[in-house]
Amino acid sequence: MVTLDKGASGMAAKKKPPPTFNLGDRVKIRFHPDLRARIVELRGPLGPGGAQVYRVRISRKPKPSYIELTADLMEAIPPAE
Amino acid sequence: MPSASLRQWRNDRTPRLAQIEAQCAASLAAVSPNAHLIEENLRGYVVLLSAHFQGFCRDLYTEAAMLIARRVRLSLRMLVLGQFTTHRALDHGNPNVDNIAKDFDRFGFDLRAKMNTDPANAPRRQHLAALNQWRNVAAHQGTIHPAGGPLTFPMLQAWRNSCDGLAASLDAILYNELRKILRRKPW
Repeated sequence: MVTLDKGASGMAAKKKPPPTFNLGDRVKIRFHPDLRARIVELRGPLGPGGAQVYRVRISRKPKPSYIELTADLMEAIPPAE
Repeated sequence: MPSASLRQWRNDRTPRLAQIEAQCAASLAAVSPNAHLIEENLRGYVVLLSAHFQGFCRDLYTEAAMLIARRVRLSLRMLVLGQFTTHRALDHGNPNVDNIAKDFDRFGFDLRAKMNTDPANAPRRQHLAALNQWRNVAAHQGTIHPAGGPLTFPMLQAWRNSCDGLAASLDAILYNELRKILRRKPW
């Protein structure tokens, strides 16, 4: 019997699952480092492949704007930041 | 396979509405019917039916926008999604044909024309218009009632069937249009 050992390369091939967010979480938006946002609605599994879609409020002046994003476009902001 | 939005309509929204419908039926079938309770139940049902149909339309719009946005590189995706979300009529307006078409036309096709190709959609659109008129009366305590007599349970049942038919029709239209745009099955 032959046992296949995938080793480190097999592990590296696994795709990291996107993070999950909760209502009220503060997030940064990838590729837009100046933007800070907050999760205001969980829209459900409406993204490609059933990915969770989040409605976020982006702090802007004179008034905030809203956008719907998937988790792969956001990074959590630690509470202390 | 239907979209996630249509599955949500059928597996979550419709059963919720069926419970409200059962509540309306029970108040009508009571041994000594309470006219006020019947009216409040029917008015509540109108608002909820319109709200759930609005929710379905917005879900379908979001699902389609996400599929389009996935085709652009990650660094541009937020900009594309922002264009789809900004001034979306279904965020604030009733789910009437004007608002639905205003939003879905952003995908580059004439939604009204596509809807008109199915003759079954003509009466459904009339029902949707009546539903939204009554929705506004109920939500704003309007005193001028729409033409067509008082609000009745059979009217609401017919409107729910029409919403169900329109949901399936919109899902099919989006499937065909997105398949052309994406050159693959969208769902």
